Amino acid sequence: MSEITANHDSAHAADGHDDHHEQSWLTTYIFSQDHKMIGKQFLMTGIFWAFVGGLLSLFFRMQLAWPNETFPILETLLGSWAEGGKLSNDFYYALVTMHGTILVFFVLTAGLSGTFSNFLIPLQIGARDMASPFMNMLSYWFFFAASAVLFISFFVQTGPASGGWTAYPPLNGIRDIALNKGSGLGFDLWITSMTLFIVGSTLGSLNYVSTVINMRTKGMSFTKMPLLTWALTFTAILGILAFPALLAAAGLLEFDRLLGTSFFLNNIVINGDLQAYKGGSPLIYQHLFWFLGHPEVYIIIFPAFGIVSEVLSVHSKKPVFGYRAMILSLGSILVIGFFVWAHHMFVTGMSPAIGKVFVIFTLLIAIPSAVKVFNWITTLWRGNIRFTVPMMFAIGFVSLFISGGITGLHLGNSTVDIQLHDSYFVVGHFHIVMGVAAFFGMWAGVYQWFPKMFGRFMNETMGYIHFWGSLIGGYMVFFPMHFMAGVPRRYYAFDQFQSFNNFQDVNVFITLAAFLVMSSNIVFLINFFYSIFKGREMTEDNLNPWGANTLEWTTPVNPGHGNWPGDLPVVYRWPYDYSTNGNEINPQNKPLEEGEHEH
Amino acid sequence: MGTTLLAVITAILFFTIIFLVAKANEMSSLGKDADEHMEDTSNLQGKLLFAFLILGMAAVAYSFFELGPRMLPLSASEHGDLIDSMFNITNVVAMFVFVLTHIILLTFAYMYRYKRNRKAYFFPHDSRLELIWTIVPAIVLTFLVFRGIKAWNEIFDFEKLENTTEVLRFEATAKQFGWILRYPGKDGEFGERIIDQEHVSQINELGINWEDPNSKDDFMANELVLIKGKLTLAKLGAQDVLHGFYLPHFRVKMDCLPGLPTQFMFTPKYTTEEYKEILSHKKYWQKIDPETGNPKWQDFQFELACTELCGKSHFAMQRVVRVVTQEEYDAWVNESKSYYYTVINPDAAPAEEDVIEEVIPINEEIDSAALSIVARVR
Repeated sequence: MSEITANHDSAHAADGHDDHHEQSWLTTYIFSQDHKMIGKQFLMTGIFWAFVGGLLSLFFRMQLAWPNETFPILETLLGSWAEGGKLSNDFYYALVTMHGTILVFFVLTAGLSGTFSNFLIPLQIGARDMASPFMNMLSYWFFFAASAVLFISFFVQTGPASGGWTAYPPLNGIRDIALNKGSGLGFDLWITSMTLFIVGSTLGSLNYVSTVINMRTKGMSFTKMPLLTWALTFTAILGILAFPALLAAAGLLEFDRLLGTSFFLNNIVINGDLQAYKGGSPLIYQHLFWFLGHPEVYIIIFPAFGIVSEVLSVHSKKPVFGYRAMILSLGSILVIGFFVWAHHMFVTGMSPAIGKVFVIFTLLIAIPSAVKVFNWITTLWRGNIRFTVPMMFAIGFVSLFISGGITGLHLGNSTVDIQLHDSYFVVGHFHIVMGVAAFFGMWAGVYQWFPKMFGRFMNETMGYIHFWGSLIGGYMVFFPMHFMAGVPRRYYAFDQFQSFNNFQDVNVFITLAAFLVMSSNIVFLINFFYSIFKGREMTEDNLNPWGANTLEWTTPVNPGHGNWPGDLPVVYRWPYDYSTNGNEINPQNKPLEEGEHEH
Repeated sequence: MGTTLLAVITAILFFTIIFLVAKANEMSSLGKDADEHMEDTSNLQGKLLFAFLILGMAAVAYSFFELGPRMLPLSASEHGDLIDSMFNITNVVAMFVFVLTHIILLTFAYMYRYKRNRKAYFFPHDSRLELIWTIVPAIVLTFLVFRGIKAWNEIFDFEKLENTTEVLRFEATAKQFGWILRYPGKDGEFGERIIDQEHVSQINELGINWEDPNSKDDFMANELVLIKGKLTLAKLGAQDVLHGFYLPHFRVKMDCLPGLPTQFMFTPKYTTEEYKEILSHKKYWQKIDPETGNPKWQDFQFELACTELCGKSHFAMQRVVRVVTQEEYDAWVNESKSYYYTVINPDAAPAEEDVIEEVIPINEEIDSAALSIVARVR
């Protein structure tokens, strides 16, 4: 601990007041302790994984749309996994599993909260860095190691994990490739990767919470904190409380696999051969998994909530409506979010009596969610809305959050869930609400803070193309899935069933739309990487290009390690004094005028 | 390879053009006054958002028209109607909120698009409004919860079993990648199962205790046979990994777990023949199936599927479900051969010849192991 403290102090002493502190290339770009660089590292890694995860989904979408066709390109790319140009069923399930794991954990957790918590918390609360810059660096490198291990698992002979991203035992709980190819070495690597990931995420989260509690600049009381910082703090608290349950589950699962314990296994008969496992329960794993798994969706969506609250307010030049209600609703979602996990388990063999409790809590959580939506909409009312690219994504987010969230009413109601559980209706629901919507939050954030990150702007036209392609394409992919309410998910092909084979036309449509989404995101990638080096430059005379009140826009174009060259800014007002006092914007560090009251 | 190359070149060309146009746009906007540029783009994007509202709603309406009829098959069980009515009520609430909030959101976006002389209205909060949109959703949700739980209680009211004199019981045990369907035989009682090394074997995967007299007439079925109007209890389990017992038409879904029995109770409403008759009036089912040359409804069958990822052939765990009258069921039970007397101990079979020839393969190719043993016994 003393070493960490020392490091922390030196970061302040060295970087606080002048920018001429010498850093080698290695400590600036690779093993950096600057929260801004670490945030960018999370972003880059997240973008890499988003591309990989998206590509995987295209492969399995091709199988679903054209199950009888062959594509030589698949064999070229995937080798023996797609012999003769047709995806094997083993690898189909590996793709689905890895797609889920990558998107949920590596992109929408690390890439989203990792990026924006790191980059923005210190900047928005007026701190020079995180409470422990060293621990912060460590959190990224654990994530990097987790990424490396997961990536390596693609090259294992028996393939990567293929038993679903939820990794239910016994399918994943018995280390037998006869049962499931991906349950061999591939799944060991999956567990290793998740373990590293959880360590990294916990290090990061602890750091974010400590930073927000202890390192706010003068005047930055909790009630003057931007909603984004609130949201990121709550995200970190969720992570700290929920991830350990997954760590425990993963550990016990690996004991079952390697040491022959029976935490989750009982009376397993394989080909008429009774195995030695006795007395465990696969349901316990599911409880542990979803105890993380459900808060996890809030870990994913909270940063998007925060970003959207910020962006809507800045670009409509209005205070976010109901600031306190927004904090309160976030807080209640955080608390209730820990009591809804078993709505994933209504028909998994859990007692129907317990199910009822979870119906009540699940539908209860819709109330704060509804409050948030109405507050966002009211924020637009009588605004003066500048439809910049981040603003478009923020509005897209609200639309998607409504569309995806509303079907939670169906799924949260256990009676309806009997029919809908594990169907395409579920796939449509969660992809819109925590997939596409969370991505829209992330993109809104990237476009909004890109100038702060790289001192340049992204191209607008490409941004709009990216937005419309993703919005229309995203809806075209996931809206039709709701009509497949009777069709089970995780099916490699539907030709075995008369009941499910009547959606071939829809499957083709969805796959084509998925290509549209991918194309619009290639436009994003081109824009992103080109703009880092060649985008329109931000100038010192226009440090606050969006006209925002928050502190991050008071730093120079390229803030060094330490963020503010001189003294830290002092905060006098809340962040949403837009269009008041006769000014469109009133930055947080602008003293109150005579006779003015705080909001 | 030629087409791949062509596709790659086309894609590169496509993205290059987008890039060049976008850069040209940026260049031309730099010359403009910032306010004017913001007004132009906001005007365009605001109008596009409004167009998105109109076209999007039209697309939603069209999708209901086109796909709505395919959304769920007609419910074929009594509790299925409860589920469907709850589903429909939720749909109405959801669609109402979906349409209303989208109209407000996108209309606001359009109405308040940037104008250089427009002043935004400072409106930080309003307790009355916030109270309204806390309480109204709360009331609607209470209604949904109340109705949902009422139906849920009814569906899982296992006391019904005790108050009903005749209940059809069957046992479905899932394994990679098929179903072992056991019926209790004429006595209506299942033979006891003991899961230990002594009882579980390749020809007795379920670990049935053959000492139990009830076990003697238990039989394994190739298809699930149910009786119209009869309360049915599905006793569910799994051998190796998790599986899901799913009867889409009957709104039945429950996971099957090794070592942890589950159950689901339902009553079929139509025989397969009656259900076919209903389908014969529906457009989709009147279409001619190109493979058989018959109208689709003629080949209709109820099906059993797996809904919990269980390995590489998860998607292929299909069994046919047949709903018949009581008489037809009794006749079927009479014809079915006891597993004990055909496979386990054919010598003890009471005065029937050549039973082995007619043995019902309990699980087609999946049970090849068991069948090969049957062959050896032969």
